Amino acid sequence: MTTPILEIKNLHVKVEDEDKQILKGVDLTLPAGEVHAIMGRNGSGKSTLSYVLAGKEGYEVTEGQVLFMGEDLLEMGADERAAAGLFLAFQYPIEIPGVATMTFLKAALNAQRKTRGEEELKIPDFMKLVKDAANQLEINQDMLKRPLNVGFSGGEKKRAEILQMALMQPSLCVLDETDSGLDIDALKVVSDGVNHLRDANRSMLVITHYQRLLNYIVPDRVHVFSDGRVVESGDRELALELEKKGYAEFDGTAA
Amino acid sequence: MEQHIVKLTDAENQLADLLQAAGAADAKAALTEHGLPHRRIEEYHYTDLRTLLRDVPAELAKANDDLPSEQFNGFSRVVIVNGKLVHADAIDGVEIKSVDVAKKVGDDQIINLMDGFAQSQIEISISKSLNKPIHIAQVHAGADSVAASKLKVTSADGVEATIIETFEGQNDRGLRFADCAMDVAANSNLLHLQLDQNATGARQFVQNCYDLHEKANLRTFVTHANFQLGRTDVKAEFKGEGAHADFAGLTLLMDKQHGDFTLNVNHAVPNTTSTESFKSIVRDRAKAIFQGKIIVAPDAQKTDAQMMSQGLLLSERAEVLVKPELEIFADDVLCAHGATCGELDADALFYLMSRGIPRAEAESMLIKAFLAELFDEIEDEQIHAKLENRVDAWLAATE
Repeated sequence: MTTPILEIKNLHVKVEDEDKQILKGVDLTLPAGEVHAIMGRNGSGKSTLSYVLAGKEGYEVTEGQVLFMGEDLLEMGADERAAAGLFLAFQYPIEIPGVATMTFLKAALNAQRKTRGEEELKIPDFMKLVKDAANQLEINQDMLKRPLNVGFSGGEKKRAEILQMALMQPSLCVLDETDSGLDIDALKVVSDGVNHLRDANRSMLVITHYQRLLNYIVPDRVHVFSDGRVVESGDRELALELEKKGYAEFDGTAA
Repeated sequence: MEQHIVKLTDAENQLADLLQAAGAADAKAALTEHGLPHRRIEEYHYTDLRTLLRDVPAELAKANDDLPSEQFNGFSRVVIVNGKLVHADAIDGVEIKSVDVAKKVGDDQIINLMDGFAQSQIEISISKSLNKPIHIAQVHAGADSVAASKLKVTSADGVEATIIETFEGQNDRGLRFADCAMDVAANSNLLHLQLDQNATGARQFVQNCYDLHEKANLRTFVTHANFQLGRTDVKAEFKGEGAHADFAGLTLLMDKQHGDFTLNVNHAVPNTTSTESFKSIVRDRAKAIFQGKIIVAPDAQKTDAQMMSQGLLLSERAEVLVKPELEIFADDVLCAHGATCGELDADALFYLMSRGIPRAEAESMLIKAFLAELFDEIEDEQIHAKLENRVDAWLAATE
């Protein structure tokens, strides 16, 4: 059997300097080429899981392990995780005034290449790469000239995230509530962008609390998340069932 | 009569002796009576020189004709070494000469020292618009010593000119004073920059006085980065209607450096406008001070003054101290001041790192983003590049 892209084993996480435990024993295995969805109500710890995977500071792992292609993910810094092939599409992409989008994209791509011991991209190659990816996501050139995420609409921000994902060609994509703030048209563009990146060597973890996104990005497995852990796993049908019955059926509390 | 008894520090006694040697008996008497400015004098509250200036060089700077290496391609060049004019390019429409100055004494002991030590005044009169900037290399040469320069720049009606001063020096514990007075004539347009390039242990006191006449336009930009202790005192007076001035400053300090910008902008006549934009980045135990006072005279209606001071703290013990003041005596004015002070945004840092950018590089990107608009107004490519290199060098030195 080949090594899974991601293995989360009994992961317990609390907020640093607080007693509040957020993740309470997450187990999840994501094989190469598969798309898994994590569904759960607000506050169930879904976003915390995505931050912990991406290496955000301020969390403390109290128990458990995360393996990324067999390597200990939690030992790596956020930048090293990115260079190793992990990508988090943010629920709320950060606006950074004063940093031009193109400057940022070039810095990010070249930093990853440098960490991996690869040569820097030549400017014309970089420009072409960005232009092609942007066209596919219906991102106009004006948007790329603006400071990173500044003045972008909700939909533009999400498209910019998927653009970055397309450029970085990660092995693992973690999509945190990518559907939030999107209208139907934007949802379609973003989903098409994501589906275009589906590949036998690439896995995706799609975090959402609506079934709707999964009509566009059809998952291989669905995990129901409640109170900091996975309480139920199943195939695509589980999402539909969840939509029909509500979360209460699965976590034993009223909605 | 109330008797002030000040026990002078060794440094004050030393400075008094040097003033005597420089022929400034009145300044010596004032210093002996009052001592150096200290924290109970409001303008020096955050820059207590009785504490900060404990050791001073034992001698006055000697004449020195060594020319420093050129820093700018194609700029006109004037070189002042230890306060004395040693070189001036022939520039069409510009007259440069050195004249004797009468020493005078006032309330501010630092200005008294400045005047007391200066042996001559270098006058630059600009009668025609310049097609290239004038670079004034202000060099403090030789062994550790006390040096002072005095500069007066006058522009004729309607001229455009850029003047860039560099404060250079290798003497590590030097103490230097530089006084610059600019008379910005009606309809003229001047850009005045001062870049400090001292040795790390240098102490520097600068006074810039500007008189702005009708429809004059002035932009100033000063850096505080290369000294142990530095203060730039800006005094601007609007004397003619329709004049505009932008005052900007960049502070980059680390270790135990101490930098002080003190501004006094007087909108004395109606219909004048100004902006004051100062950005400070400090780390380690460095201290950046910004005191900005805007005065709007009773009949100075339609004044618009916008003051902003922003600080970025990169270490827990670094400090940015800000004191903005507005004294408005007219009723139809637009004046505002703002001050921000904070650390690098942790969310922005994580976002950049999550895209594979290592921490140091991500921090640099955010620091440069913080500074971004500060250089926008500087069109000359060589100067722009020099400022950006300065920031890069500072960032590299602290990584």
